[in-house]
Amino acid sequence: MTPFLAQSPWPQFCVSVVMLVLILHVILGAGAYFILLERKVCAWVQDRVGPNRVGPLGLLQPIADGLKLFVKEDFIPAGVDRTLFILAPAFSVIPAMIGFAIIPWAGLWETTSWSVYIMVADINIGVIYLVATASLGVYGVVLGGWASNNKYSFLGGLRASAQMISYEIPMGLALLCVILTAGTLMPQQIVAQQIEGQWYMVQQPLAAIIFYICLLAEANRAPFDLAEAEQELVGGWHTEYSSMKWALFFLGEYAHIFVGSAFFVTLFMGGWSLNPFWGWDLPVAGGLALILCQMAIVMGKIFLLVVLTMVVRWTLPRFRFDQLMRLAWEGMIPASLVLLLVTSVVTFIGWLHYMWLASLVTLFFFWLIRPALPQQADPNRRVGLIGSRFSPASSEPGSDTATER
Amino acid sequence: MLLIANDLNAYIPVGILLLMAVAFPIINLIGTSLLGPSRRGKEKDAAYESGMTPIDTARKRFNVRFYILAMTFLVFDVEIIFLYPWAVSYTQLDPQSGEASLFLGRILFFIATSVIAYIYAWRKGVFRWE
Repeated sequence: MTPFLAQSPWPQFCVSVVMLVLILHVILGAGAYFILLERKVCAWVQDRVGPNRVGPLGLLQPIADGLKLFVKEDFIPAGVDRTLFILAPAFSVIPAMIGFAIIPWAGLWETTSWSVYIMVADINIGVIYLVATASLGVYGVVLGGWASNNKYSFLGGLRASAQMISYEIPMGLALLCVILTAGTLMPQQIVAQQIEGQWYMVQQPLAAIIFYICLLAEANRAPFDLAEAEQELVGGWHTEYSSMKWALFFLGEYAHIFVGSAFFVTLFMGGWSLNPFWGWDLPVAGGLALILCQMAIVMGKIFLLVVLTMVVRWTLPRFRFDQLMRLAWEGMIPASLVLLLVTSVVTFIGWLHYMWLASLVTLFFFWLIRPALPQQADPNRRVGLIGSRFSPASSEPGSDTATER
Repeated sequence: MLLIANDLNAYIPVGILLLMAVAFPIINLIGTSLLGPSRRGKEKDAAYESGMTPIDTARKRFNVRFYILAMTFLVFDVEIIFLYPWAVSYTQLDPQSGEASLFLGRILFFIATSVIAYIYAWRKGVFRWE
Protein backbone atom coordinates (compact mmCIF):
# COMPACT_ATOMS: atom_id res chain seq x y z
CA MET A 1 0.00 0.00 0.00
CA THR A 2 2.78 2.41 0.87
CA PRO A 3 4.41 2.68 -2.58
CA PHE A 4 1.01 3.00 -4.24
CA LEU A 5 -0.10 5.90 -2.05
CA ALA A 6 3.29 7.56 -2.28
CA GLN A 7 2.99 7.58 -6.06
CA SER A 8 -0.70 8.35 -6.16
CA PRO A 9 -1.89 11.92 -6.69
CA TRP A 10 -5.00 11.27 -4.58
CA PRO A 11 -3.69 12.33 -1.12
CA GLN A 12 -2.50 15.66 -2.52
CA PHE A 13 -5.79 16.09 -4.36
CA CYS A 14 -7.89 15.39 -1.26
CA VAL A 15 -5.82 17.76 0.88
CA SER A 16 -6.08 20.40 -1.84
CA VAL A 17 -9.86 20.17 -1.94
CA VAL A 18 -10.13 20.22 1.87
CA MET A 19 -7.88 23.29 2.03
CA LEU A 20 -9.84 24.91 -0.78
CA VAL A 21 -13.19 24.59 0.99
CA LEU A 22 -11.68 25.51 4.36
CA ILE A 23 -9.87 28.64 3.20
CA LEU A 24 -12.80 29.77 1.06
CA HIS A 25 -14.96 29.73 4.17
CA VAL A 26 -12.24 31.40 6.20
CA ILE A 27 -12.09 34.19 3.62
CA LEU A 28 -15.86 34.66 3.51
CA GLY A 29 -16.10 34.62 7.31
CA ALA A 30 -13.07 36.85 7.65
CA GLY A 31 -14.54 39.23 5.08
CA ALA A 32 -17.57 39.64 7.34
CA TYR A 33 -15.63 39.84 10.58
CA PHE A 34 -12.95 42.16 9.21
CA ILE A 35 -15.71 44.77 8.91
CA LEU A 36 -16.41 44.38 12.62
CA LEU A 37 -12.67 44.46 13.33
CA GLU A 38 -12.34 47.57 11.19
CA ARG A 39 -15.08 49.30 13.14
CA LYS A 40 -13.51 48.22 16.43
CA VAL A 41 -10.07 49.47 15.32
CA CYS A 42 -11.64 52.72 14.13
CA ALA A 43 -13.36 53.11 17.48
CA TRP A 44 -10.14 52.38 19.30
CA VAL A 45 -8.20 54.94 17.24
CA GLN A 46 -10.91 57.54 17.79
CA ASP A 47 -11.30 56.71 21.49
CA ARG A 48 -14.83 55.31 21.18
CA VAL A 49 -16.38 51.99 22.13
CA GLY A 50 -17.47 50.72 18.74
CA PRO A 51 -20.25 48.23 17.97
CA ASN A 52 -21.21 46.36 21.16
CA ARG A 53 -25.01 45.92 21.02
CA VAL A 54 -25.54 42.85 18.83
CA GLY A 55 -24.36 39.87 20.81
CA PRO A 56 -21.48 39.82 23.30
CA LEU A 57 -18.88 42.47 22.32
CA GLY A 58 -20.85 43.01 19.12
CA LEU A 59 -19.74 39.66 17.79
CA LEU A 60 -23.04 38.98 16.03
CA GLN A 61 -22.96 42.32 14.22
CA PRO A 62 -21.59 40.91 10.90
CA ILE A 63 -24.35 38.28 10.82
CA ALA A 64 -27.02 40.91 11.42
CA ASP A 65 -25.48 43.11 8.73
CA GLY A 66 -25.30 40.22 6.28
CA LEU A 67 -28.94 39.24 6.85
CA LYS A 68 -30.05 42.83 6.52
CA LEU A 69 -28.15 43.31 3.27
CA PHE A 70 -29.52 40.05 1.88
CA VAL A 71 -33.18 41.07 2.25
CA LYS A 72 -32.70 44.65 1.10
CA GLU A 73 -34.11 45.80 -2.19
CA ASP A 74 -31.87 44.89 -5.13
CA PHE A 75 -32.39 48.11 -7.04
CA ILE A 76 -31.25 48.75 -10.60
CA PRO A 77 -31.70 52.38 -11.62
CA ALA A 78 -32.94 53.35 -15.05
CA GLY A 79 -30.28 54.30 -17.58
CA VAL A 80 -27.65 51.81 -16.40
CA ASP A 81 -26.05 49.21 -18.62
CA ARG A 82 -27.91 46.29 -17.05
CA THR A 83 -25.58 43.45 -18.01
CA LEU A 84 -22.43 45.18 -16.86
CA PHE A 85 -24.18 46.61 -13.80
CA ILE A 86 -25.04 43.10 -12.62
CA LEU A 87 -21.72 41.58 -13.66
CA ALA A 88 -19.48 44.19 -12.02
CA PRO A 89 -19.81 42.94 -8.40
CA ALA A 90 -19.12 39.40 -9.59
CA PHE A 91 -16.04 40.60 -11.45
CA SER A 92 -14.94 42.27 -8.26
CA VAL A 93 -15.35 39.30 -5.94
CA ILE A 94 -14.27 36.38 -8.18
CA PRO A 95 -10.59 37.42 -8.62
CA ALA A 96 -10.30 38.07 -4.89
CA MET A 97 -11.68 34.62 -4.13
CA ILE A 98 -9.51 32.56 -6.47
CA GLY A 99 -6.19 34.23 -5.68
CA PHE A 100 -5.34 32.30 -2.52
CA ALA A 101 -4.86 29.01 -4.37
CA ILE A 102 -1.08 29.22 -4.35
CA ILE A 103 -0.54 30.45 -0.78
CA PRO A 104 1.26 27.75 1.27
CA TRP A 105 -0.60 27.58 4.58
CA ALA A 106 1.80 25.07 6.10
CA GLY A 107 4.71 22.89 5.08
CA LEU A 108 4.91 19.31 3.94
CA TRP A 109 2.63 16.90 5.82
CA GLU A 110 4.58 13.67 6.13
CA THR A 111 3.04 10.43 7.34
CA THR A 112 4.26 6.91 6.81
CA SER A 113 2.28 6.50 3.60
CA TRP A 114 2.22 9.93 1.96
CA SER A 115 3.63 13.44 2.00
CA VAL A 116 1.50 16.31 0.78
CA TYR A 117 1.74 20.10 0.59
CA ILE A 118 -0.84 22.01 2.63
CA MET A 119 -1.89 24.30 -0.19
CA VAL A 120 -4.58 24.32 -2.82
CA ALA A 121 -2.52 24.17 -5.99
CA ASP A 122 1.16 23.36 -6.19
CA ILE A 123 1.59 24.91 -9.64
CA ASN A 124 4.95 25.88 -11.06
CA ILE A 125 3.96 29.40 -12.13
CA GLY A 126 2.76 30.05 -8.56
CA VAL A 127 3.46 33.69 -7.90
CA ILE A 128 2.45 34.82 -11.41
CA TYR A 129 -0.96 33.18 -10.95
CA LEU A 130 -1.70 35.31 -7.90
CA VAL A 131 -0.47 38.52 -9.52
CA ALA A 132 -2.57 37.77 -12.62
CA THR A 133 -5.77 37.07 -10.71
CA ALA A 134 -5.27 40.01 -8.36
CA SER A 135 -4.91 42.46 -11.24
CA LEU A 136 -8.20 41.24 -12.73
CA GLY A 137 -9.88 43.01 -9.82
CA VAL A 138 -9.68 46.31 -11.68
CA TYR A 139 -12.41 45.14 -14.07
CA GLY A 140 -15.08 45.11 -11.36
CA VAL A 141 -14.27 48.69 -10.43
CA VAL A 142 -14.11 50.00 -13.99
CA LEU A 143 -17.25 48.19 -15.16
CA GLY A 144 -19.17 49.23 -12.04
CA GLY A 145 -18.20 52.84 -12.59
CA TRP A 146 -19.03 52.78 -16.28
CA ALA A 147 -22.31 50.87 -16.04
CA SER A 148 -23.83 53.02 -13.30
CA ASN A 149 -24.32 56.06 -15.56
CA ASN A 150 -23.65 58.24 -12.56
CA LYS A 151 -21.03 60.96 -12.55
CA TYR A 152 -19.68 60.04 -9.12
CA SER A 153 -19.36 56.38 -10.09
CA PHE A 154 -17.74 57.28 -13.37
CA LEU A 155 -15.09 59.51 -11.80
CA GLY A 156 -14.47 56.95 -9.07
CA GLY A 157 -14.02 54.16 -11.60
CA LEU A 158 -11.63 56.26 -13.68
CA ARG A 159 -9.53 57.20 -10.68
CA ALA A 160 -9.46 53.63 -9.38
CA SER A 161 -8.37 52.20 -12.72
CA ALA A 162 -5.57 54.75 -13.11
CA GLN A 163 -4.45 54.10 -9.55
CA MET A 164 -4.57 50.31 -9.78
CA ILE A 165 -2.62 50.08 -13.02
CA SER A 166 -0.05 52.60 -11.81
CA TYR A 167 0.70 50.68 -8.63
CA GLU A 168 0.85 47.36 -10.39
CA ILE A 169 4.21 48.27 -11.94
CA PRO A 170 6.24 48.87 -8.74
CA MET A 171 4.47 45.83 -7.25
CA GLY A 172 5.67 43.64 -10.13
CA LEU A 173 9.19 45.06 -9.93
CA ALA A 174 9.40 44.51 -6.16
CA LEU A 175 8.15 40.98 -6.72
CA LEU A 176 10.88 40.47 -9.32
CA CYS A 177 13.51 41.39 -6.72
CA VAL A 178 12.18 38.59 -4.51
CA ILE A 179 12.11 36.13 -7.40
CA LEU A 180 15.71 37.05 -8.25
CA THR A 181 16.70 36.43 -4.63
CA ALA A 182 14.82 33.13 -4.43
CA GLY A 183 15.39 31.92 -7.98
CA THR A 184 11.98 30.30 -8.18
CA LEU A 185 8.33 31.16 -8.78
CA MET A 186 6.94 28.42 -6.52
CA PRO A 187 5.72 29.92 -3.24
CA GLN A 188 6.45 26.91 -1.05
CA GLN A 189 10.06 26.99 -2.26
CA ILE A 190 10.26 30.72 -1.56
CA VAL A 191 9.11 29.98 2.01
CA ALA A 192 11.53 27.06 2.34
CA GLN A 193 14.42 29.32 1.32
CA GLN A 194 13.44 31.89 3.92
CA ILE A 195 13.34 29.18 6.59
CA GLU A 196 16.80 28.08 5.55
CA GLY A 197 18.12 31.62 5.47
CA GLN A 198 16.69 35.00 6.41
CA TRP A 199 13.26 36.47 5.79
CA TYR A 200 13.18 38.45 2.56
CA MET A 201 11.95 41.36 4.65
CA VAL A 202 15.47 41.43 6.09
CA GLN A 203 17.17 40.67 2.79
CA GLN A 204 15.11 43.09 0.69
CA PRO A 205 13.72 45.74 3.06
CA LEU A 206 13.11 48.33 0.35
CA ALA A 207 11.24 45.83 -1.83
CA ALA A 208 9.08 44.88 1.17
CA ILE A 209 8.14 48.51 1.85
CA ILE A 210 7.32 49.18 -1.82
CA PHE A 211 5.31 45.97 -2.03
CA TYR A 212 3.27 46.76 1.07
CA ILE A 213 2.43 50.27 -0.15
CA CYS A 214 1.36 48.79 -3.49
CA LEU A 215 -0.83 46.25 -1.70
CA LEU A 216 -2.68 49.09 0.04
CA ALA A 217 -3.08 50.91 -3.28
CA GLU A 218 -4.23 47.80 -5.15
CA ALA A 219 -6.88 47.06 -2.53
CA ASN A 220 -8.06 50.70 -2.69
CA ARG A 221 -7.36 51.17 0.99
CA ALA A 222 -6.61 54.43 2.70
CA PRO A 223 -4.44 56.43 2.26
CA PHE A 224 -5.09 55.40 -1.34
CA ASP A 225 -8.90 55.22 -1.27
CA LEU A 226 -9.43 58.07 -3.71
CA ALA A 227 -11.84 55.98 -5.73
CA GLU A 228 -14.36 56.07 -2.91
CA ALA A 229 -13.43 59.37 -1.33
CA GLU A 230 -16.66 60.12 0.51
CA GLN A 231 -16.16 63.85 0.67
CA GLU A 232 -15.77 64.21 -3.09
CA LEU A 233 -17.44 61.24 -4.72
CA VAL A 234 -20.16 60.06 -2.30
CA GLY A 235 -19.47 56.32 -2.64
CA GLY A 236 -17.19 56.23 -5.66
CA TRP A 237 -17.90 53.46 -8.11
CA HIS A 238 -20.52 51.78 -5.90
CA THR A 239 -22.71 54.84 -5.42
CA GLU A 240 -25.61 53.27 -7.32
CA TYR A 241 -25.27 49.80 -5.82
CA SER A 242 -27.45 48.41 -3.09
CA SER A 243 -28.20 45.19 -1.28
CA MET A 244 -26.00 42.14 -1.96
CA LYS A 245 -24.33 43.74 -4.98
CA TRP A 246 -22.89 46.38 -2.71
CA ALA A 247 -21.92 43.71 -0.17
CA LEU A 248 -20.09 41.76 -2.86
CA PHE A 249 -17.91 44.80 -3.61
CA PHE A 250 -16.99 45.03 0.04
CA LEU A 251 -16.47 41.30 0.38
CA GLY A 252 -14.13 41.54 -2.61
CA GLU A 253 -12.21 44.37 -0.96
CA TYR A 254 -11.73 42.54 2.33
CA ALA A 255 -10.91 39.25 0.60
CA HIS A 256 -8.35 41.21 -1.41
CA ILE A 257 -6.78 42.50 1.80
CA PHE A 258 -6.71 39.00 3.29
CA VAL A 259 -5.12 37.41 0.21
CA GLY A 260 -2.71 40.32 -0.19
CA SER A 261 -1.58 39.99 3.43
CA ALA A 262 -1.16 36.23 2.95
CA PHE A 263 0.92 36.95 -0.15
CA PHE A 264 3.08 39.40 1.78
CA VAL A 265 3.56 36.86 4.56
CA THR A 266 4.61 34.25 2.01
CA LEU A 267 7.00 36.50 0.14
CA PHE A 268 8.58 38.61 2.84
CA MET A 269 7.79 37.16 6.27
CA GLY A 270 8.78 33.58 5.60
CA GLY A 271 5.37 31.94 5.90
CA TRP A 272 5.49 29.96 9.15
CA SER A 273 9.10 30.88 9.86
CA LEU A 274 9.70 32.11 13.40
CA ASN A 275 13.27 33.35 13.15
CA PRO A 276 13.86 36.26 10.77
CA PHE A 277 17.63 35.67 10.75
CA TRP A 278 19.96 32.74 10.33
CA GLY A 279 19.81 29.84 12.71
CA TRP A 280 17.11 27.68 14.28
CA ASP A 281 13.68 27.58 12.72
CA LEU A 282 10.60 25.38 12.44
CA PRO A 283 11.18 22.41 10.13
CA VAL A 284 9.42 22.37 6.76
CA ALA A 285 8.08 18.82 6.94
CA GLY A 286 6.46 17.00 9.82
CA GLY A 287 3.40 15.47 11.39
CA LEU A 288 -0.07 16.82 12.00
CA ALA A 289 0.81 18.76 15.18
CA LEU A 290 3.57 20.66 13.41
CA ILE A 291 1.28 21.39 10.43
CA LEU A 292 -1.40 22.85 12.69
CA CYS A 293 1.25 24.91 14.47
CA GLN A 294 2.51 26.27 11.16
CA MET A 295 -0.99 27.17 10.02
CA ALA A 296 -1.60 29.03 13.28
CA ILE A 297 1.61 31.02 12.80
CA VAL A 298 0.71 31.94 9.21
CA MET A 299 -2.78 33.01 10.22
CA GLY A 300 -1.40 35.03 13.14
CA LYS A 301 0.95 36.91 10.84
CA ILE A 302 -1.87 37.59 8.38
CA PHE A 303 -4.02 38.90 11.22
CA LEU A 304 -1.26 41.25 12.37
CA LEU A 305 -0.84 42.60 8.84
CA VAL A 306 -4.59 43.14 8.46
CA VAL A 307 -4.70 45.04 11.76
CA LEU A 308 -1.74 47.13 10.57
CA THR A 309 -3.65 47.90 7.36
CA MET A 310 -6.62 49.06 9.38
CA VAL A 311 -4.59 51.19 11.78
CA VAL A 312 -2.92 52.80 8.73
CA ARG A 313 -6.35 53.53 7.29
CA TRP A 314 -7.59 55.32 10.38
CA THR A 315 -4.34 57.14 11.01
CA LEU A 316 -3.21 58.64 7.71
CA PRO A 317 -5.05 61.27 5.68
CA ARG A 318 -5.93 60.62 2.06
CA PHE A 319 -3.62 61.55 -0.82
CA ARG A 320 -4.53 64.04 -3.48
CA PHE A 321 -4.76 62.51 -6.95
CA ASP A 322 -1.71 64.26 -8.43
CA GLN A 323 0.31 63.35 -5.33
CA LEU A 324 -0.80 59.74 -5.69
CA MET A 325 0.28 59.60 -9.31
CA ARG A 326 3.57 61.30 -8.54
CA LEU A 327 4.31 58.83 -5.76
CA ALA A 328 3.79 55.93 -8.15
CA TRP A 329 5.42 57.20 -11.32
CA GLU A 330 8.11 59.53 -10.08
CA GLY A 331 8.89 57.81 -6.81
CA MET A 332 8.26 54.12 -6.57
CA ILE A 333 8.79 53.05 -10.18
CA PRO A 334 12.32 54.53 -10.45
CA ALA A 335 13.15 53.21 -6.97
CA SER A 336 12.00 49.69 -7.78
CA LEU A 337 13.70 49.73 -11.20
CA VAL A 338 17.05 50.71 -9.67
CA LEU A 339 16.53 48.16 -6.90
CA LEU A 340 15.91 45.48 -9.53
CA LEU A 341 19.10 46.41 -11.39
CA VAL A 342 21.19 46.45 -8.20
CA THR A 343 19.66 43.13 -7.12
CA SER A 344 20.53 41.52 -10.46
CA VAL A 345 24.10 42.79 -10.17
CA VAL A 346 24.39 41.49 -6.59
CA THR A 347 23.04 38.14 -7.80
CA PHE A 348 25.61 38.22 -10.59
CA ILE A 349 28.45 38.78 -8.14
CA GLY A 350 27.01 36.01 -5.99
CA TRP A 351 26.60 37.85 -2.67
CA LEU A 352 23.25 36.18 -2.05
CA HIS A 353 23.73 36.31 1.71
CA TYR A 354 24.25 40.07 1.65
CA MET A 355 21.22 40.96 -0.41
CA TRP A 356 20.30 43.79 1.97
CA LEU A 357 23.24 45.64 0.41
CA ALA A 358 21.02 46.12 -2.66
CA SER A 359 18.54 48.25 -0.70
CA LEU A 360 21.35 50.29 0.84
CA VAL A 361 23.02 50.84 -2.55
CA THR A 362 19.68 51.90 -4.05
CA LEU A 363 19.06 54.45 -1.29
CA PHE A 364 22.64 55.72 -1.63
CA PHE A 365 22.20 56.02 -5.41
CA PHE A 366 19.11 58.19 -5.01
CA TRP A 367 20.83 60.32 -2.39
CA LEU A 368 23.68 60.76 -4.87
CA ILE A 369 21.60 61.75 -7.90
CA ARG A 370 19.09 63.77 -5.93
CA PRO A 371 20.49 67.18 -7.04
CA ALA A 372 20.22 66.12 -10.71
CA LEU A 373 16.55 65.13 -10.50
CA PRO A 374 13.98 67.57 -11.89
CA GLN A 375 12.70 69.55 -8.94
CA GLN A 376 9.41 71.24 -8.48
CA ALA A 377 9.19 74.42 -6.46
CA ASP A 378 6.64 73.04 -4.00
CA PRO A 379 5.15 69.72 -5.04
CA ASN A 380 2.50 69.84 -2.32
CA ARG A 381 1.31 73.37 -2.94
CA ARG A 382 -2.38 74.03 -3.08
CA VAL A 383 -3.75 73.60 -6.59
CA GLY A 384 -6.77 75.75 -7.27
CA LEU A 385 -9.51 74.41 -9.48
CA ILE A 386 -9.72 77.61 -11.45
CA GLY A 387 -6.55 78.13 -13.39
CA SER A 388 -5.39 74.52 -13.38
CA ARG A 389 -4.52 72.98 -16.72
CA PHE A 390 -7.70 70.91 -16.96
CA SER A 391 -10.21 73.26 -15.53
CA PRO A 392 -12.99 74.18 -17.92
CA ALA A 393 -13.13 77.52 -16.19
CA SER A 394 -10.51 80.03 -17.08
CA SER A 395 -8.27 81.92 -14.72
CA GLU A 396 -8.67 85.15 -16.69
CA PRO A 397 -12.17 86.42 -17.07
CA GLY A 398 -13.06 86.93 -20.70
CA SER A 399 -10.81 84.30 -22.29
CA ASP A 400 -12.40 81.00 -23.33
CA THR A 401 -9.49 78.55 -23.20
CA ALA A 402 -7.85 77.32 -20.03
CA THR A 403 -4.37 78.63 -19.51
CA GLU A 404 -1.65 76.28 -20.69
CA ARG A 405 1.16 75.79 -18.25
CA MET B 1 -7.41 5.66 -12.07
CA LEU B 2 -9.06 8.96 -12.76
CA LEU B 3 -6.05 11.00 -11.86
CA ILE B 4 -2.84 10.46 -13.74
CA ALA B 5 0.23 11.74 -11.94
CA ASN B 6 1.48 14.73 -13.87
CA ASP B 7 2.03 18.45 -13.39
CA LEU B 8 -1.40 19.42 -14.68
CA ASN B 9 -3.05 17.61 -11.72
CA ALA B 10 -2.41 20.70 -9.64
CA TYR B 11 -4.73 22.72 -11.84
CA ILE B 12 -7.80 20.59 -11.03
CA PRO B 13 -8.32 22.23 -7.59
CA VAL B 14 -7.89 25.62 -9.27
CA GLY B 15 -10.72 24.68 -11.63
CA ILE B 16 -12.95 23.62 -8.71
CA LEU B 17 -12.10 26.84 -6.91
CA LEU B 18 -12.99 28.87 -9.99
CA LEU B 19 -16.36 27.11 -10.26
CA MET B 20 -17.12 27.79 -6.59
CA ALA B 21 -15.99 31.40 -6.89
CA VAL B 22 -18.23 31.93 -9.94
CA ALA B 23 -21.18 30.20 -8.27
CA PHE B 24 -20.98 32.29 -5.09
CA PRO B 25 -21.86 35.72 -6.57
CA ILE B 26 -24.45 34.18 -8.92
CA ILE B 27 -26.30 32.52 -6.02
CA ASN B 28 -26.07 35.69 -3.96
CA LEU B 29 -27.35 37.92 -6.74
CA ILE B 30 -30.26 35.62 -7.58
CA GLY B 31 -31.13 35.11 -3.91
CA THR B 32 -31.16 38.77 -3.04
CA SER B 33 -33.23 39.70 -6.09
CA LEU B 34 -35.83 37.10 -5.07
CA LEU B 35 -35.91 38.01 -1.37
CA GLY B 36 -35.86 41.78 -1.46
CA PRO B 37 -38.81 44.06 -2.13
CA SER B 38 -39.08 45.84 -5.45
CA ARG B 39 -40.76 49.20 -5.91
CA ARG B 40 -39.99 51.55 -8.71
CA GLY B 41 -40.73 55.17 -9.42
CA LYS B 42 -39.64 57.98 -11.68
CA GLU B 43 -37.61 59.78 -9.03
CA LYS B 44 -36.20 56.56 -7.62
CA ASP B 45 -35.03 55.37 -11.02
CA ALA B 46 -32.93 58.46 -11.59
CA ALA B 47 -29.19 58.44 -11.02
CA TYR B 48 -28.01 59.89 -7.71
CA GLU B 49 -26.70 63.38 -8.09
CA SER B 50 -26.84 64.79 -4.58
CA GLY B 51 -30.59 65.23 -4.78
CA MET B 52 -30.69 67.27 -7.95
CA THR B 53 -32.28 66.16 -11.18
CA PRO B 54 -29.45 64.48 -13.12
CA ILE B 55 -28.05 66.68 -15.84
CA ASP B 56 -27.25 64.72 -18.98
CA THR B 57 -25.59 61.32 -19.12
CA ALA B 58 -22.41 60.55 -17.21
CA ARG B 59 -20.70 58.92 -20.15
CA LYS B 60 -19.03 61.91 -21.69
CA ARG B 61 -15.57 62.63 -22.92
CA PHE B 62 -12.97 62.51 -20.20
CA ASN B 63 -9.41 63.58 -19.79
CA VAL B 64 -6.98 62.17 -22.35
CA ARG B 65 -4.28 61.68 -19.71
CA PHE B 66 -6.00 58.53 -18.55
CA TYR B 67 -5.37 57.03 -21.98
CA ILE B 68 -1.76 58.19 -22.04
CA LEU B 69 -1.25 56.74 -18.57
CA ALA B 70 -2.73 53.41 -19.68
CA MET B 71 -0.37 53.28 -22.66
CA THR B 72 2.65 54.03 -20.47
CA PHE B 73 1.46 51.32 -18.10
CA LEU B 74 1.29 48.87 -20.99
CA VAL B 75 4.95 49.50 -21.90
CA PHE B 76 6.06 48.65 -18.38
CA ASP B 77 3.69 45.78 -17.78
CA VAL B 78 4.79 43.95 -20.92
CA GLU B 79 8.39 44.54 -19.91
CA ILE B 80 7.77 43.04 -16.46
CA ILE B 81 6.13 39.98 -18.00
CA PHE B 82 9.29 39.40 -20.04
CA LEU B 83 11.38 39.79 -16.91
CA TYR B 84 9.71 36.94 -14.95
CA PRO B 85 11.17 34.04 -17.01
CA TRP B 86 14.46 35.90 -17.12
CA ALA B 87 14.59 36.24 -13.33
CA VAL B 88 14.02 32.51 -12.84
CA SER B 89 16.52 31.25 -15.40
CA TYR B 90 19.12 33.90 -14.59
CA THR B 91 19.68 32.66 -11.04
CA GLN B 92 20.16 29.09 -12.25
CA LEU B 93 23.03 29.94 -14.61
CA ASP B 94 26.59 29.08 -13.77
CA PRO B 95 28.33 32.38 -12.93
CA GLN B 96 31.64 31.04 -14.23
CA SER B 97 30.37 30.10 -17.69
CA GLY B 98 30.00 33.62 -19.02
CA GLU B 99 26.34 33.03 -19.81
CA ALA B 100 25.33 34.95 -16.71
CA SER B 101 27.11 38.10 -17.85
CA LEU B 102 25.52 37.72 -21.29
CA PHE B 103 22.08 37.44 -19.68
CA LEU B 104 22.76 40.42 -17.45
CA GLY B 105 23.96 42.54 -20.37
CA ARG B 106 20.94 41.67 -22.47
CA ILE B 107 18.48 42.50 -19.76
CA LEU B 108 20.29 45.74 -18.96
CA PHE B 109 19.88 46.73 -22.61
CA PHE B 110 16.22 45.66 -22.53
CA ILE B 111 15.49 47.71 -19.43
CA ALA B 112 17.46 50.64 -20.88
CA THR B 113 15.12 50.78 -23.90
CA SER B 114 12.06 51.21 -21.69
CA VAL B 115 13.89 53.58 -19.36
CA ILE B 116 14.45 55.85 -22.38
CA ALA B 117 10.70 55.74 -23.08
CA TYR B 118 10.07 56.44 -19.40
CA ILE B 119 12.36 59.47 -19.36
CA TYR B 120 10.69 60.75 -22.54
CA ALA B 121 7.26 60.39 -20.93
CA TRP B 122 8.47 62.14 -17.79
CA ARG B 123 9.90 65.07 -19.76
CA LYS B 124 6.67 65.27 -21.76
CA GLY B 125 4.79 65.72 -18.49
CA VAL B 126 2.74 62.51 -18.58
CA PHE B 127 3.10 62.13 -14.82
CA ARG B 128 2.14 65.71 -14.01
CA TRP B 129 -1.48 65.95 -12.85
CA GLU B 130 -2.37 69.38 -11.69
